[in-house]
Amino acid sequence: MAQQNQMSYELYRSTSVGIALADTLDDLISSRRIEPQLAMKIMGTFDESIAKVLNDKVKARMSFKGHLDTYRFCDEVWTFVIKDIHFKMENSSTFDAEKIKIVACLAKEKAA
Amino acid sequence: MASPNDRTSSVSTRNSSRALPIDGPKITNIVCGVNLNCRFELKTIALYGRNVTYYPKKFNAAIIRMREPKATALVFQTGKMQVLGAKSVDDAKLAARKFARMLQKMGFSPRMEGFNVQNIVAVVDTKMIIRLEKLHHDHYVYSRWEPELFPGLVYRFHESKVKALVFTTGKVVLLGSKQEEQLDECIKLLYPVLNECRVIEQNK
Repeated sequence: MAQQNQMSYELYRSTSVGIALADTLDDLISSRRIEPQLAMKIMGTFDESIAKVLNDKVKARMSFKGHLDTYRFCDEVWTFVIKDIHFKMENSSTFDAEKIKIVACLAKEKAA
Repeated sequence: MASPNDRTSSVSTRNSSRALPIDGPKITNIVCGVNLNCRFELKTIALYGRNVTYYPKKFNAAIIRMREPKATALVFQTGKMQVLGAKSVDDAKLAARKFARMLQKMGFSPRMEGFNVQNIVAVVDTKMIIRLEKLHHDHYVYSRWEPELFPGLVYRFHESKVKALVFTTGKVVLLGSKQEEQLDECIKLLYPVLNECRVIEQNK
Protein backbone atom coordinates (compact mmCIF):
# COMPACT_ATOMS: atom_id res chain seq x y z
CA MET A 1 0.00 0.00 0.00
CA ALA A 2 1.42 3.42 -0.99
CA GLN A 3 2.53 5.50 1.97
CA GLN A 4 1.44 9.11 2.13
CA ASN A 5 4.60 10.93 3.02
CA GLN A 6 3.23 14.45 2.90
CA MET A 7 4.35 17.08 5.34
CA SER A 8 1.50 19.52 5.83
CA TYR A 9 1.35 22.77 7.77
CA GLU A 10 -0.18 22.67 11.26
CA LEU A 11 -1.26 26.21 10.51
CA TYR A 12 -4.99 25.46 10.57
CA ARG A 13 -5.03 23.86 14.01
CA SER A 14 -5.53 27.26 15.61
CA THR A 15 -8.68 27.97 13.62
CA SER A 16 -12.13 27.49 15.22
CA VAL A 17 -12.56 24.17 13.41
CA GLY A 18 -9.14 22.96 14.49
CA ILE A 19 -9.64 23.99 18.09
CA ALA A 20 -13.07 22.33 18.18
CA LEU A 21 -11.56 19.11 16.84
CA ALA A 22 -8.70 19.21 19.34
CA ASP A 23 -11.14 19.78 22.23
CA THR A 24 -13.31 16.88 21.10
CA LEU A 25 -10.32 14.58 20.82
CA ASP A 26 -9.12 15.63 24.29
CA ASP A 27 -12.54 14.74 25.68
CA LEU A 28 -12.41 11.35 24.02
CA ILE A 29 -8.90 10.72 25.34
CA SER A 30 -9.84 11.63 28.93
CA SER A 31 -12.90 9.36 28.78
CA ARG A 32 -10.53 6.60 27.60
CA ARG A 33 -12.44 6.09 24.37
CA ILE A 34 -9.41 6.54 22.09
CA GLU A 35 -5.63 6.39 22.33
CA PRO A 36 -3.57 9.62 22.20
CA GLN A 37 -1.71 8.19 19.21
CA LEU A 38 -4.93 7.96 17.27
CA ALA A 39 -5.75 11.57 18.17
CA MET A 40 -2.35 12.64 16.75
CA LYS A 41 -3.08 10.74 13.54
CA ILE A 42 -6.50 12.41 13.30
CA MET A 43 -4.96 15.86 13.65
CA GLY A 44 -2.52 14.94 10.89
CA THR A 45 -5.37 13.90 8.60
CA PHE A 46 -7.17 17.14 9.53
CA ASP A 47 -4.12 19.15 8.42
CA GLU A 48 -4.05 17.45 5.05
CA SER A 49 -7.78 17.56 4.38
CA ILE A 50 -8.38 21.16 5.38
CA ALA A 51 -5.54 22.30 3.12
CA LYS A 52 -6.97 20.21 0.28
CA VAL A 53 -10.54 21.42 0.77
CA LEU A 54 -9.56 25.10 0.99
CA ASN A 55 -7.51 24.66 -2.14
CA ASP A 56 -10.01 22.67 -4.23
CA LYS A 57 -13.50 23.33 -2.98
CA VAL A 58 -13.55 26.90 -1.71
CA LYS A 59 -14.28 29.34 -4.54
CA ALA A 60 -15.39 32.45 -2.65
CA ARG A 61 -13.33 35.59 -3.20
CA MET A 62 -12.66 38.64 -1.08
CA SER A 63 -10.57 41.75 -1.44
CA PHE A 64 -9.27 44.14 1.17
CA LYS A 65 -7.35 47.37 1.47
CA GLY A 66 -5.47 48.68 4.43
CA HIS A 67 -2.26 50.14 5.76
CA LEU A 68 0.61 47.71 6.22
CA ASP A 69 1.91 48.31 9.72
CA THR A 70 4.59 45.61 9.93
CA TYR A 71 5.77 42.62 7.93
CA ARG A 72 8.09 39.68 8.58
CA PHE A 73 9.50 36.91 6.46
CA CYS A 74 11.34 34.15 8.31
CA ASP A 75 11.46 30.37 7.72
CA GLU A 76 9.46 30.93 4.52
CA VAL A 77 6.48 32.22 6.52
CA TRP A 78 5.07 35.70 5.96
CA THR A 79 3.45 37.55 8.87
CA PHE A 80 1.63 40.84 8.19
CA VAL A 81 -0.06 43.23 10.58
CA ILE A 82 -2.46 45.49 8.73
CA LYS A 83 -4.35 48.46 10.22
CA ASP A 84 -7.65 50.12 9.24
CA ILE A 85 -8.76 47.48 6.79
CA HIS A 86 -11.82 47.59 4.61
CA PHE A 87 -13.04 44.18 3.40
CA LYS A 88 -15.18 43.62 0.30
CA MET A 89 -16.94 40.27 -0.09
CA GLU A 90 -18.42 38.64 -3.19
CA ASN A 91 -22.02 39.45 -2.29
CA SER A 92 -20.97 43.12 -2.10
CA SER A 93 -21.15 43.12 1.66
CA THR A 94 -18.35 45.01 3.32
CA PHE A 95 -16.96 45.46 6.76
CA ASP A 96 -14.12 47.25 8.47
CA ALA A 97 -11.57 46.16 11.01
CA GLU A 98 -9.02 48.11 13.03
CA LYS A 99 -6.23 45.55 12.90
CA ILE A 100 -5.66 42.14 11.35
CA LYS A 101 -2.76 39.72 11.40
CA ILE A 102 -2.09 37.48 8.42
CA VAL A 103 0.12 34.40 8.68
CA ALA A 104 0.89 32.90 5.27
CA CYS A 105 2.83 29.75 4.40
CA LEU A 106 4.17 28.71 1.04
CA ALA A 107 1.47 26.90 -0.98
CA LYS A 108 2.14 23.35 -2.07
CA GLU A 109 2.70 22.77 -5.75
CA LYS A 110 -0.14 20.90 -7.43
CA ALA A 111 0.74 17.28 -8.17
CA ALA A 112 1.06 16.52 -11.89
CA MET B 1 18.89 73.75 3.91
CA ALA B 2 18.50 71.75 7.12
CA SER B 3 20.53 72.90 10.11
CA PRO B 4 22.86 70.43 11.85
CA ASN B 5 20.48 70.35 14.82
CA ASP B 6 17.57 69.35 12.67
CA ARG B 7 16.51 65.81 13.51
CA THR B 8 13.96 65.63 10.74
CA SER B 9 15.01 64.01 7.50
CA SER B 10 16.27 66.38 4.88
CA VAL B 11 15.64 66.30 1.17
CA SER B 12 18.92 67.03 -0.43
CA THR B 13 18.48 69.19 -3.50
CA ARG B 14 21.74 70.97 -3.98
CA ASN B 15 21.52 74.49 -5.23
CA SER B 16 25.14 75.51 -5.17
CA SER B 17 25.17 75.28 -8.95
CA ARG B 18 23.23 78.55 -8.81
CA ALA B 19 25.02 79.93 -11.81
CA LEU B 20 23.85 77.07 -13.99
CA PRO B 21 20.30 76.94 -15.38
CA ILE B 22 19.77 73.33 -14.26
CA ASP B 23 17.69 71.28 -11.86
CA GLY B 24 19.72 69.45 -9.30
CA PRO B 25 21.90 67.53 -8.62
CA LYS B 26 19.21 65.74 -6.65
CA ILE B 27 20.43 62.75 -4.68
CA THR B 28 18.27 59.66 -5.23
CA ASN B 29 20.28 56.99 -3.40
CA ILE B 30 23.21 56.66 -1.01
CA VAL B 31 24.94 53.36 -0.33
CA CYS B 32 27.06 53.16 2.80
CA GLY B 33 28.66 50.56 5.00
CA VAL B 34 29.35 50.35 8.69
CA ASN B 35 30.87 47.78 10.99
CA LEU B 36 28.78 47.09 14.08
CA ASN B 37 31.49 44.99 15.72
CA CYS B 38 29.32 42.16 16.94
CA ARG B 39 28.08 38.90 15.48
CA PHE B 40 24.37 38.63 14.70
CA GLU B 41 22.02 35.69 14.66
CA LEU B 42 19.96 36.61 11.65
CA LYS B 43 17.10 34.31 12.56
CA THR B 44 16.70 36.09 15.90
CA ILE B 45 16.59 39.43 14.10
CA ALA B 46 13.95 38.09 11.72
CA LEU B 47 11.79 36.73 14.54
CA TYR B 48 11.99 39.64 16.99
CA GLY B 49 12.40 42.62 14.65
CA ARG B 50 9.68 44.40 12.74
CA ASN B 51 9.76 44.85 8.96
CA VAL B 52 12.46 42.23 8.48
CA THR B 53 12.86 39.63 5.76
CA TYR B 54 15.36 36.79 5.92
CA TYR B 55 15.60 34.16 3.22
CA PRO B 56 19.06 32.52 3.52
CA LYS B 57 18.46 30.40 0.41
CA LYS B 58 18.47 33.56 -1.66
CA PHE B 59 20.72 35.97 0.26
CA ASN B 60 22.62 35.57 3.50
CA ALA B 61 21.55 38.78 5.22
CA ALA B 62 18.55 40.09 7.13
CA ILE B 63 16.88 42.96 5.28
CA ILE B 64 15.33 45.57 7.55
CA ARG B 65 13.36 48.56 6.25
CA MET B 66 12.64 51.80 8.02
CA ARG B 67 10.04 54.45 7.21
CA GLU B 68 11.60 57.55 8.82
CA PRO B 69 14.11 58.25 7.33
CA LYS B 70 13.28 55.97 4.43
CA ALA B 71 16.13 53.47 4.31
CA THR B 72 16.95 49.77 4.00
CA ALA B 73 19.61 47.92 5.96
CA LEU B 74 21.34 44.70 4.99
CA VAL B 75 22.59 43.13 8.18
CA PHE B 76 25.16 40.35 7.90
CA GLN B 77 26.14 37.67 10.40
CA THR B 78 29.64 39.09 10.66
CA GLY B 79 28.34 42.36 12.08
CA LYS B 80 28.74 44.40 8.93
CA MET B 81 25.76 46.44 7.84
CA GLN B 82 24.96 48.24 4.59
CA VAL B 83 22.51 51.15 4.65
CA LEU B 84 20.83 51.89 1.33
CA GLY B 85 18.22 54.25 -0.02
CA ALA B 86 18.83 57.39 2.03
CA LYS B 87 18.59 60.75 0.24
CA SER B 88 21.36 62.54 2.15
CA VAL B 89 24.48 61.57 4.06
CA ASP B 90 22.97 62.92 7.29
CA ASP B 91 19.88 60.77 6.75
CA ALA B 92 22.08 57.76 6.07
CA LYS B 93 24.01 58.29 9.31
CA LEU B 94 20.78 58.79 11.25
CA ALA B 95 19.28 55.66 9.71
CA ALA B 96 22.41 53.65 10.56
CA ARG B 97 22.17 54.80 14.18
CA LYS B 98 18.47 53.94 14.31
CA PHE B 99 19.11 50.46 12.89
CA ALA B 100 21.88 49.94 15.45
CA ARG B 101 19.46 51.00 18.20
CA MET B 102 16.90 48.51 16.85
CA LEU B 103 19.46 45.71 16.99
CA GLN B 104 20.46 46.77 20.48
CA LYS B 105 16.85 46.43 21.64
CA MET B 106 16.84 42.88 20.30
CA GLY B 107 19.60 41.96 22.70
CA PHE B 108 22.76 42.43 20.66
CA SER B 109 25.50 44.93 21.52
CA PRO B 110 26.40 46.79 18.35
CA ARG B 111 29.10 49.47 18.38
CA MET B 112 29.25 51.67 15.25
CA GLU B 113 32.66 51.81 13.68
CA GLY B 114 33.94 52.90 10.31
CA PHE B 115 30.83 54.45 8.79
CA ASN B 116 31.74 55.17 5.16
CA VAL B 117 29.79 56.30 2.13
CA GLN B 118 30.39 53.94 -0.77
CA ASN B 119 28.24 55.41 -3.53
CA ILE B 120 26.00 58.40 -4.14
CA VAL B 121 23.54 58.38 -7.05
CA ALA B 122 22.11 61.70 -8.21
CA VAL B 123 20.07 63.00 -11.13
CA VAL B 124 20.41 66.34 -12.88
CA ASP B 125 18.18 67.94 -15.49
CA THR B 126 20.31 70.12 -17.73
CA LYS B 127 17.20 71.34 -19.56
CA MET B 128 18.67 70.92 -23.00
CA ILE B 129 18.58 68.45 -25.84
CA ILE B 130 21.97 66.89 -26.39
CA ARG B 131 23.58 65.47 -29.50
CA LEU B 132 25.21 62.37 -28.06
CA GLU B 133 26.96 61.62 -31.31
CA LYS B 134 28.78 64.97 -31.19
CA LEU B 135 29.60 64.48 -27.52
CA HIS B 136 30.95 61.02 -28.22
CA HIS B 137 33.00 62.31 -31.17
CA ASP B 138 34.46 65.35 -29.40
CA HIS B 139 35.24 63.57 -26.15
CA TYR B 140 36.09 60.16 -27.39
CA VAL B 141 38.63 59.59 -24.62
CA TYR B 142 36.10 60.13 -21.86
CA SER B 143 32.92 58.68 -23.31
CA ARG B 144 31.48 55.28 -24.13
CA TRP B 145 28.33 55.10 -26.19
CA GLU B 146 26.67 52.10 -27.74
CA PRO B 147 23.15 53.21 -28.74
CA GLU B 148 22.17 49.68 -29.75
CA LEU B 149 22.87 48.47 -26.23
CA PHE B 150 21.85 51.41 -24.08
CA PRO B 151 20.64 54.87 -25.08
CA GLY B 152 22.79 56.66 -22.49
CA LEU B 153 26.33 57.82 -23.06
CA VAL B 154 28.73 56.95 -20.24
CA TYR B 155 31.06 59.85 -19.48
CA ARG B 156 33.97 59.25 -17.11
CA PHE B 157 35.55 62.19 -15.31
CA HIS B 158 39.35 62.15 -15.75
CA GLU B 159 40.87 59.83 -13.14
CA SER B 160 37.83 60.06 -10.89
CA LYS B 161 35.67 57.04 -10.25
CA VAL B 162 32.60 59.11 -11.00
CA LYS B 163 30.60 58.36 -14.11
CA ALA B 164 27.78 60.30 -15.72
CA LEU B 165 25.06 58.71 -17.82
CA VAL B 166 24.08 61.37 -20.33
CA PHE B 167 20.83 61.09 -22.24
CA THR B 168 19.52 62.93 -25.28
CA THR B 169 16.78 64.48 -23.15
CA GLY B 170 19.42 66.32 -21.17
CA LYS B 171 18.91 64.24 -18.06
CA VAL B 172 22.14 63.13 -16.42
CA VAL B 173 22.67 60.44 -13.81
CA LEU B 174 25.81 60.78 -11.67
CA LEU B 175 27.15 57.54 -10.24
CA GLY B 176 30.08 56.62 -8.04
CA SER B 177 30.76 59.75 -6.05
CA LYS B 178 31.49 59.41 -2.36
CA GLN B 179 30.90 62.99 -1.23
CA GLU B 180 27.97 65.31 -1.82
CA GLU B 181 30.40 68.08 -2.89
CA GLN B 182 31.82 65.90 -5.64
CA LEU B 183 28.44 66.03 -7.38
CA ASP B 184 28.59 69.80 -7.77
CA GLU B 185 32.13 69.67 -9.08
CA CYS B 186 31.21 67.05 -11.63
CA ILE B 187 28.20 68.88 -12.95
CA LYS B 188 30.20 72.14 -13.17
CA LEU B 189 32.77 70.32 -15.28
CA LEU B 190 30.17 68.59 -17.39
CA TYR B 191 27.83 71.47 -18.16
CA PRO B 192 30.05 73.37 -20.62
CA VAL B 193 30.89 70.11 -22.37
CA LEU B 194 27.20 69.35 -22.81
CA ASN B 195 26.41 72.91 -23.79
CA GLU B 196 28.70 72.59 -26.79
CA CYS B 197 26.73 69.60 -27.95
CA ARG B 198 23.25 70.92 -27.37
CA VAL B 199 20.59 71.18 -30.03
CA ILE B 200 19.42 74.79 -30.44
CA GLU B 201 15.99 75.13 -32.00
CA GLN B 202 15.73 77.69 -34.74
CA ASN B 203 12.35 79.45 -34.57
CA LYS B 204 11.33 80.95 -37.85
